Amino acid sequence: MDFKELDPILHAQLRLAIMSLLISVKEAEFTFLKEKTNATAGNLSVQLNKLKEVGYVEIVKQFKNNYPQTICKVTPVGINAFEEYVKALQTYLPGNP
Amino acid sequence: MQEERLSEQESLRIIESMINKAKNQFSENGHLYLLWGWVIFFCSIGQFILLHILHFSWGSLIWILTWATVVYQYIYIKRKLKQRKVKTYTDEILGMVWLAFVISVFLWAVVLGNIFENTGRDFFGFVNPVFLLLYGMPTFISGFALKFKPLWLGAIGCWVLSIVAALLPVDYQVLMLAVAMVIAWIVPGYLLRAKYKNNVSNV
Repeated sequence: MDFKELDPILHAQLRLAIMSLLISVKEAEFTFLKEKTNATAGNLSVQLNKLKEVGYVEIVKQFKNNYPQTICKVTPVGINAFEEYVKALQTYLPGNP
Repeated sequence: MQEERLSEQESLRIIESMINKAKNQFSENGHLYLLWGWVIFFCSIGQFILLHILHFSWGSLIWILTWATVVYQYIYIKRKLKQRKVKTYTDEILGMVWLAFVISVFLWAVVLGNIFENTGRDFFGFVNPVFLLLYGMPTFISGFALKFKPLWLGAIGCWVLSIVAALLPVDYQVLMLAVAMVIAWIVPGYLLRAKYKNNVSNV
C-alpha cells in the first residue's frame, strides 16, 4: 500500500475546516468562518494568516458601513492543494490499492 | 477548534461536516418571489377589472405599480447585500440569471413598442404568452439550483399557461398571468419562506 504524504498546512483541524468551508462558497466573511468553526477570533486569525502565507487563501480587508470587514476566498493554488490533500487522504482509506 | 494531530478519519469528518454547513447556507427567503408574485397578480386582476368590467380606458396604467416595486427591490437588495456574510456560487449564478430575465423583459417591451411604431402592426396578442415564457425560464433554473421542486413545477406551469394564453382572446390572456403568479411565485414563495425560517431556527 502506497501512502501519500499529507500536506501539513491542511492536516490541522482548524485550517482544514476553514479550507473546507471556503472551497464550498465563492467568498465568506471572517464572522461566517468564526460562526461555522466555533473557533476563537484569535486562533482563526492566526490560522487564516498561515493559509494566506502559503497562498491558499486571499484575504481582503475593507470597510462596510464604517465597520471593518474581512473577506476570505480560496485561491486556485488553495483549490489544487485541497484536491491533492483529499487524494492523499484516500490512500489511507481501507480497501485502497 | 484546537490545532492537534489529526487522524485520517477525523480529517474526512471535518471536510464532510464543513462542506455540509456551507451547503446548508440557504439564503433564499422567498421575499422577492412573494413581492413580485403579489404585485403582478394584483396588476393582472386589476387591469382586467378596470378594462373589461369597469370599462376604464386607462386600466393598463395600473402597471405603474411595478416601477414602485423596482425602487423598493433596489433598496431591499442593497440592504440584504450589506448583511450578507457569505456569497455562494449559487447566489452568483442566480443573480445573473434573474438579471438576464429583467433585461429580456425590458427588451421585449422595447421591441414590441418599436414594431408597433414602425409597422403599425398590433402585436398585443403576443405580449402575455411571451411574458409567460420568460417567467418560466429563471424560475425553472432557480428551482434546480436551489433544489426546490415547487419552483420548477411552477415554471412548467408558466410554459403551459403560455400556450393556453395564446389560444385565448387577448382580453383574457392577462388572467393567465395572475394564475401563473400563484403557481410559480406566490405558492413557492411561501414555501421558500417556511423553509428559510425552519433553516434559520435549526442553525
